[in-house]
Amino acid sequence: MKRKNAEEFSGPKVKSSTGSRIFDGINIVFMIFICFLCIYPIWYVIVNSLNDAKDAMSGGIYWWPRVFSLGSYKRVFAESGLLQSFRVTIMKTLIGTVLSVLFTALVGYALSKKYLIGRGFYMAVGTITMFFGGGLIPTFILYKSLGLYDNFLVFIIPAMFSFYNMLIMISFFRELPPSLEESARIDGAGDFTVFFRIVLPLSKPVLATIALFNGVYQWNDYFAGVMYTQSKSLEPIQTYLYRIIATAQSSQMATTAVNVATTTTSTSIKLATMVITTVPIMCVYPFLQKYFVKGMMIGAVKE
Amino acid sequence: MKKRMKQVLAAALAGCMILSMTACGGKKDDVTVSDVKIDPDKPGWEQTADDTADLSWYVNFSWFNTPWGENLVSKKITEETGVNVEFVVPAGNEAEKLNSMIATDTLPDLVTLGYWEGQVNDMIDAEMVYPLNELADKYDPYFFKVANEERINWYTKEDGNVYCYPNSSYTPEDYKNHDNIGSNQTFLVRKDIYEAIGKPDMTTPEGFKAAIKAAKEKFPKVDGQPLIPIGADEFTSSGCNSFDKWLMNFLAVPYEKDGKFYDRYTDPEYVAWLKTFRELGEEGYLANDIFIDKRAQMEEKVTQGRYFCMLYQRTDIQEQEKQIYATDPDKIYIAVDGPKNSKGDDYQLPGSSVNGWTVTMISKNCKRPDKAIQLMTYLMSEHGQKMVYLGVEGETYDMVDGKPVIKEEVAEVLNSDRAQYDKLYGADDAYWMLQDNAMQLAWQPELTEPMGQLEKWTYPYTVYTGQYDVTLATDSDEANANLKINNEWGTTLPKLLLAKSEGEFDKLFDAFVQKRDSLNYQIVLDESTRQMNEAKQKLGMD
Amino acid sequence: MKKKSVAAKMWQQRKLQLMAWLGMIWLLVFAYIPMGGIVIAFKNYKITKGIWEAPWVGLQHFRDFFANDQFWNIMANTLGISLLKLVIGFPLPIIFALLLNEIKNVTFKKFVQTASYLPHFISWVVLGGILITWLDANGVINDLFVALGFYGDAGRTYFLGENGRYFWLIALISDSWKELGWNAIIYLAAISGIDQQMYEAATVDGAGKLKKIFYITLPSIKGTIAILFVLAVSGMMNSNFDQIFMLSNSLNATRSTVIDIHVYEMGMRVGRYSYATAVGLFKSIIALILLLGANTTSKKLTGSGLY
Repeated sequence: MKRKNAEEFSGPKVKSSTGSRIFDGINIVFMIFICFLCIYPIWYVIVNSLNDAKDAMSGGIYWWPRVFSLGSYKRVFAESGLLQSFRVTIMKTLIGTVLSVLFTALVGYALSKKYLIGRGFYMAVGTITMFFGGGLIPTFILYKSLGLYDNFLVFIIPAMFSFYNMLIMISFFRELPPSLEESARIDGAGDFTVFFRIVLPLSKPVLATIALFNGVYQWNDYFAGVMYTQSKSLEPIQTYLYRIIATAQSSQMATTAVNVATTTTSTSIKLATMVITTVPIMCVYPFLQKYFVKGMMIGAVKE
Repeated sequence: MKKRMKQVLAAALAGCMILSMTACGGKKDDVTVSDVKIDPDKPGWEQTADDTADLSWYVNFSWFNTPWGENLVSKKITEETGVNVEFVVPAGNEAEKLNSMIATDTLPDLVTLGYWEGQVNDMIDAEMVYPLNELADKYDPYFFKVANEERINWYTKEDGNVYCYPNSSYTPEDYKNHDNIGSNQTFLVRKDIYEAIGKPDMTTPEGFKAAIKAAKEKFPKVDGQPLIPIGADEFTSSGCNSFDKWLMNFLAVPYEKDGKFYDRYTDPEYVAWLKTFRELGEEGYLANDIFIDKRAQMEEKVTQGRYFCMLYQRTDIQEQEKQIYATDPDKIYIAVDGPKNSKGDDYQLPGSSVNGWTVTMISKNCKRPDKAIQLMTYLMSEHGQKMVYLGVEGETYDMVDGKPVIKEEVAEVLNSDRAQYDKLYGADDAYWMLQDNAMQLAWQPELTEPMGQLEKWTYPYTVYTGQYDVTLATDSDEANANLKINNEWGTTLPKLLLAKSEGEFDKLFDAFVQKRDSLNYQIVLDESTRQMNEAKQKLGMD
Repeated sequence: MKKKSVAAKMWQQRKLQLMAWLGMIWLLVFAYIPMGGIVIAFKNYKITKGIWEAPWVGLQHFRDFFANDQFWNIMANTLGISLLKLVIGFPLPIIFALLLNEIKNVTFKKFVQTASYLPHFISWVVLGGILITWLDANGVINDLFVALGFYGDAGRTYFLGENGRYFWLIALISDSWKELGWNAIIYLAAISGIDQQMYEAATVDGAGKLKKIFYITLPSIKGTIAILFVLAVSGMMNSNFDQIFMLSNSLNATRSTVIDIHVYEMGMRVGRYSYATAVGLFKSIIALILLLGANTTSKKLTGSGLY
């Protein structure tokens, strides 16, 4: 970014600057507006989670906690299963993301080559899977017979490849300057060497993007935890969260007389759980951002 | 770069290897049982308590989130029985989780689900659950001593086996012997408003309308926001309890006529009251809120005291009611006489029936069926009921003059912070899977306000309606027809209530009845009649 | 030059073939094997019996779906909401990415970028509840509109009621808002991959901001846009289930019942898996046709598509 700015300011073009400044001004105001729209809901969630649980039941908290209390957070952190759930989620996010990005990129690299024999067939095979799925029960049966049911690997292996992500990768690989690959091949490098030493390092922006998508998917996925595990020790944090926030949705009690205290979790506890489970993954983005800084490729070409 | 990549790869691969080695697949071991010779005259759990076992227990209610092993009661039960329980609770859609486990034969050891669920019979028919009587014969004959005969009778299948045991079950006999069995259905009004408008009679359409109008006139706003004159349960795709089933019960609409299951929806008393609500709607007394809000918004509005009156389940506003009571006891909701039919008949509010609420089964995947049946025996026994309901003697309650008295500090937590109570003590039916409310009546402490008034109000009107509980088999023609009819009703009911004129109401209602007939309502009625007759015979009624 | 035989070519690219086959094997196991379960769309599947034992019923479940007198309404809602999201919702992240790229202050830019993707992390279960409260006649949105003088106190509207008059709009706006920054990530990544020399050359030629956007940035990310557009078109039969499930109610049902909701109500909730699968299959077939159509069109217009 900096290089461009520097050139622009040093450049001798007084002509375009008035229009350009108005544009910039409006743009900045617009961006501030977007920021507000996007940050406010998070603020709302945080403020409500910091309010006293009982008081929050009557709603109407918008800017600041009415009765400040850390009680909800204390309550959530006191849950015994929470740490283990965090551990499961961190493990599955790290392992799942690394494996998925590498594996998808590897297959994508092969399929990005127009001269690959049978490429049309492979693409067709993959495309079909984007549309036709077997549904819950057959998938369940498959996982069970593969021994994946109630097994940590159920979070990893079925999520290892994504044809959709592969398509995005392919469109990036295609735009890589072919000259680099060619020069490596002339030096006698094979396909795997080219892939690991040339293509991967050059594709940091797309790898970072897909890793982000994947990581967020792994972090946020509650469904695998709901359906394919039963041990508490394998429950991901999002499944835990989902159970807490979704309860009010499906209170399917018999409409007869039953004296059971269905303690629906209060709003602020739900929100506190959400904050605790969501904040870690929110913080990932700024770290990946540096890979989105352009100029990487030019650097490589120039070197 | 290459080096780093290699390191990452190696780490990932190593991680995978370790995981795949330590993680065990779902291999099924053979059943192992304790080799203690069981004395049939003593509870089995007493004899095998040293032999510990872990049992997984599926509870088909996503809101159930009391873990095992943290509070006093569960620790004590584990100590006394040697059984450690791990609950499996679906997050979100219960049917999805349960169906998948049935389809792939991955049911946990114990299974608790609503008695009305089609899966109960599915599992029995597919022989996925043990006959309890068989297990009891083999591992714990004491089971028969603690099981209630009538309930066992009720749940005995044609093959002579009993596959499940209910909780919250009351037999018709119980209703004769106790006068403190309550229903959950109440007509609630906000106390201060109701008193300010002179405690009007709300049992007739005229009185009801006048009261609503008076309330709205006198209290147009609650803390700056409009009063919602009539509250209601959530509108779902199959209707709204407040405006259909519960209302019918208040109007004492019968379940059967001339030996046949009665079509309650077209009962003239019911339709007349629906029209009363429509008139109120036309004049703007049915707020849009009630059609839009989900449970969370409703709870918020209950706490704010935005509703004047509503037909509602009293236990569903428990937390909110306690909160109001703590801050402003004048604004609580109290139970008063609500809509009655034109003859002024007593309300016919359903209490729990012999069906109970949930049933518990032992799956054939269970590797320790002996411990499972012994745990059930424990929980069903008087000792177990006391444990689940009162807790540990000397720690949560004391016996005073032969009556249990809950310790003050325990009661205080119970009344102020249920979640904290469950975490610390876990009595008061926190583990309700086999609660026997009929047995617990004897130990029931004096009811406390604000919830006590609501419960007591229902006592005179609570009736036994178990013979009319109908369960349609999953994916049967009747069930599918019923599903479509319910959905039709779900779209029609709001339209009826919001109809601009009585003519429009009649037209909509006729269209619904016609549509219902074309969806084959008759087979639903026929099946209901059949089940009703069967139930009566089993219960020895008429 | 002599043409090499296919076998020889295969041998030459054996490593590439190996890479491709790794993916194919994964697809075979995790996509194609369960896909066999589609047969239950033509059967009467019961969960306690196996898939193979279930009796064949032919197209009965499809007929059941088409014969539903809500069918056309459901289709209209599904496609209506999707079209809105496609025509208005799709370009927004692109515009946002382009505008964000023009921000010069790096810190501010990073801040906006991070902020914009935050709403993505609030699950619909939570957000839906918040929105119901905000869109209430006495909620903040109405308060705001009254304060801004759009209408008086008497004009307060139940945005989620009114027979669903505003439902499609709410679905569009809330979805765009939640996913704006998230969906822009991919475009930002694409923009970051553009060769800087092009901009430098254009600057030397005296090109203004807009010119650079239209003649350099957009053409450079055309391929990414085309692919995502084709995928978006093919996804038109899908709705955001969580969003619609949370926001629908008895007053807006006529505008909010989409296929996915219908399947949930009639299929999943009561375990009619065959019916749910049949509707799913119907959706898939339409989606595939849409994909092929969109891909062909995109190739003709922009020269890039999926294949």
